[in-house]
Amino acid sequence: MNNDQWMLILHDIHKFYDRLEVLKGITMEVKKGELVTFVGPSGCGKTTLLRVIGGFTNLDTGQVILDGHRIDRLPPNLRDTRICFQNYALFPHMTVADNISYGLKIKRWKKGRIQERVEELLKLVKLEGLGGRMIDKLSGGQQQRVALARALSLEPKVLLLDEPLSNLDANLRLIMRGEIRKLQERLKITTIFVTHDQFEAMSISDRIVVMKEGVIQQIGSPVEIYERPNNEFIASFVGYVNFLDGVIKAVELHPERATASTSIGEIHFVPERSINVGDQVKLVIRPETIDLSKSEPKGRNNIFQGEVEIGMYVGSLAKYTVQVKGERIIIDQSNPRETGLFKTNDKIYLSIPENIHLLTKN
Amino acid sequence: MAKAEALYLPEDSLRERIKTYINAELVNIFAALLFLLLVIFLLYPIIAVLIKSVKGPQGLTLSYYLKFLIKGYYFKSLTNTLLLGFINTVVCLVVGFCLAYLTTRGPLGLRKPLKVVSMMPLIAPPYLFAISLIILFGRNGIITNAFHLHWTIYGFTGVVVAQTLAFIPLAYLMIENTLRSLNPNLEESAYDLGASEVRIIRTITIPLLAPGILKAGLLVFVMTIAEFGNAAILGGRTPFLAPDTYTMIIGEGDFEMGSVLSVVLIIPCIIIFFLHNYLLTGKKFTTIGGKPVASEPRKMTPFVKIPFIIISCFAGLAIVISFGVVLMASFTKILGVNNEIVMSHIKNFDSNLAIYNSIKVSLIAALIGAIIGTLLAYVIVRGKFFGRSFIEMLSLSGFALPGTVIGIGYLLAFNTPPLKLTGGIMILALNCVFRFLAVGVEAGISKLHQINIEIEEASSDLGANFVTTFYKIVLPLMFPAFIAGFIYTFMTAIVSLSAVVFLVSPGFELAAVKIFDAAVYGEIGVASATTMKLVVIVIVCMILLDFLTKKTGFGLSHKKGV
Repeated sequence: MNNDQWMLILHDIHKFYDRLEVLKGITMEVKKGELVTFVGPSGCGKTTLLRVIGGFTNLDTGQVILDGHRIDRLPPNLRDTRICFQNYALFPHMTVADNISYGLKIKRWKKGRIQERVEELLKLVKLEGLGGRMIDKLSGGQQQRVALARALSLEPKVLLLDEPLSNLDANLRLIMRGEIRKLQERLKITTIFVTHDQFEAMSISDRIVVMKEGVIQQIGSPVEIYERPNNEFIASFVGYVNFLDGVIKAVELHPERATASTSIGEIHFVPERSINVGDQVKLVIRPETIDLSKSEPKGRNNIFQGEVEIGMYVGSLAKYTVQVKGERIIIDQSNPRETGLFKTNDKIYLSIPENIHLLTKN
Repeated sequence: MAKAEALYLPEDSLRERIKTYINAELVNIFAALLFLLLVIFLLYPIIAVLIKSVKGPQGLTLSYYLKFLIKGYYFKSLTNTLLLGFINTVVCLVVGFCLAYLTTRGPLGLRKPLKVVSMMPLIAPPYLFAISLIILFGRNGIITNAFHLHWTIYGFTGVVVAQTLAFIPLAYLMIENTLRSLNPNLEESAYDLGASEVRIIRTITIPLLAPGILKAGLLVFVMTIAEFGNAAILGGRTPFLAPDTYTMIIGEGDFEMGSVLSVVLIIPCIIIFFLHNYLLTGKKFTTIGGKPVASEPRKMTPFVKIPFIIISCFAGLAIVISFGVVLMASFTKILGVNNEIVMSHIKNFDSNLAIYNSIKVSLIAALIGAIIGTLLAYVIVRGKFFGRSFIEMLSLSGFALPGTVIGIGYLLAFNTPPLKLTGGIMILALNCVFRFLAVGVEAGISKLHQINIEIEEASSDLGANFVTTFYKIVLPLMFPAFIAGFIYTFMTAIVSLSAVVFLVSPGFELAAVKIFDAAVYGEIGVASATTMKLVVIVIVCMILLDFLTKKTGFGLSHKKGV
């Protein structure tokens, strides 16, 4: 592939803390102008990887290549990456403008130019007129914006954001999430965003990197990660999921169809890739893809009868646990007012869709 | 249903009413008693000094103060003391900062040894350094003789060096504490934005540390100007306030001039005490919390690393050598002159008797101090009466007052009936109790803040009165603080010199005073041996404290005042 399209290449990065290996051979690329999210449970190595890219943590082996140049031996001040820490790390003894211009002064910009640039950045993050404020006179959201402006001040090639929204309350988090994305798209700045919140990752990213115990589990667009997870961990990390163990019974080619026998009966589906009769598979069925009805739907495949075990009404949707031949299946039904609510012990029909993602067993 | 009959309330008897009243007001009654003790044993002696300094044969007079200003010698003593305090503070802060920076951000291999060395002076009485300097640079000093120097350590320089070494840990600990609590992301951000290490230290680290450094500086300054031992042993002909007060009173019996010098010494201490408290409550730079980040050791640039290491190692080496020569002097006839190994200094009868006396006095002081400290802490935290903060301030002030002043105050205040205490053991013990009360009180306060008040409310809800609640609930929970206060008071009392030097009676010598006398009369072997015995006692106390801290998770900040 053409190397010019990559802004950042990580090659086989290993990092040990004492004898604990926290990064176990990370290899990946980030395109120019892309927003990539590192997501995973705490301790998965996502922040360490970000610190490796920023130069705050030395890697043990491997390479970090920024825009065609190896940077893994350079200190942070000589790398064209800028970081926004989770706690913002704003200098509390300086004003907003002093914070933002800190890096510009080090680069010996002229006074007038610094002033212009600070104004420009304040406008960019919607903090016009607050340049003279002290940091502790700002709200959490405003501090977040100052940190962003400071990191952007030197026009870095890659912007590193370490859980930037985790100190904000839920509403503000939504707003800032949108603003960061808008800003990033406008400036076309290559950005790496670290979060432990899978929904945040889904909503903001071009691509998501799911990590666990120092290993990349999967890299892909939000849709790919959600609909075609590589393994059980990813499937359950990005939302609730029903797993059904099965064996492939039949495969047809024209049209492409297959049948798997599972504990609740035979399920027909359209295979995403080639499979063979006799393969052991795991069917990944998201709760919101299953339809429920009182009477048996006509003219559809994959209809199963079940009994409601628990029904929970949560407003925007109703969540059911349904017993089907001894299996517990979780079903989310959106718009429950339309379909009507079911009660415990109601006999109901489930229709499972035909586009089902498969995990093959190793 | 029948109408409810009016409840018949029998009139309480007078005895019942008094009992109820006492029960309800018990905390306040305790507070009043404690306040009375503070007034008698802390405030009154200071006032006695003040009165003495202005009371002439015919009523009030300022003639003694006038004499102080006119006579060059006295004034010189003031300027010397302030200059000493200033130089000492600056040097201690610089050395303390270098040490703290290296032990928190420096090479991993250096951190532990430097930390140990910079805390070492804590286990010794400050005048250990005066003795070590005499051994090295005195008239018969090892280095003086080796290089045939005509210069000796006695004078201003000697005092500065000894004091600096003695107060390095104080500066180091306070700066290290603030440096460690500084969010590493702040320095990393500056680094990320292109700043060099020198620039980070100049624009981020030091400005953010400024309140902490300032506090450390004020404390070192007060400790230095009030310190008696080093200046008295090494001062020679150079006048300093604290030793001059001693000469004035013990040598010349001039109580009026002694009081004037005391008041002059007390003024900067009081100013700084208030300044320090103001800063303590003043605003700190707050930063948004996040997860604690494991900060990796940054590579230090040589521009910072080399000078910092040179300064730190020089100070560290001086400390280690000081301990070394005092230890060696304890076991040799006259170190540097006659290096024959002898046990006579260690076995010296007077020295051992003084140690025994010191232990006795310190144990009494520790017991009383821990009890009063715990009670005071309780009253300060839980009491709801007017003047609570005044009691708190008063109980902490003993720490800031120069020992010499309290010593003179006791001499003046308790020389006549009804409270004639001079010449006994109690005056020595009580003096230590009230001088070092601050630590016990602070330990108790911080422990009490960890104890939920609802525990006590539950106890009184079940019918217990204040005394029962205190005895059955509060005391067991505060026990670690009580023990910490006990050990700490013991440890500081046993090395303390500046106040007791005024109060010892002939025939009952304390170890610290014995060391002072021996050092002044050139019996360096005995002085060294007695000092080393104190060091051993302090080490044992520290091990006990450390054990207690680990066992109960109860921390105690190390402060030092002698």
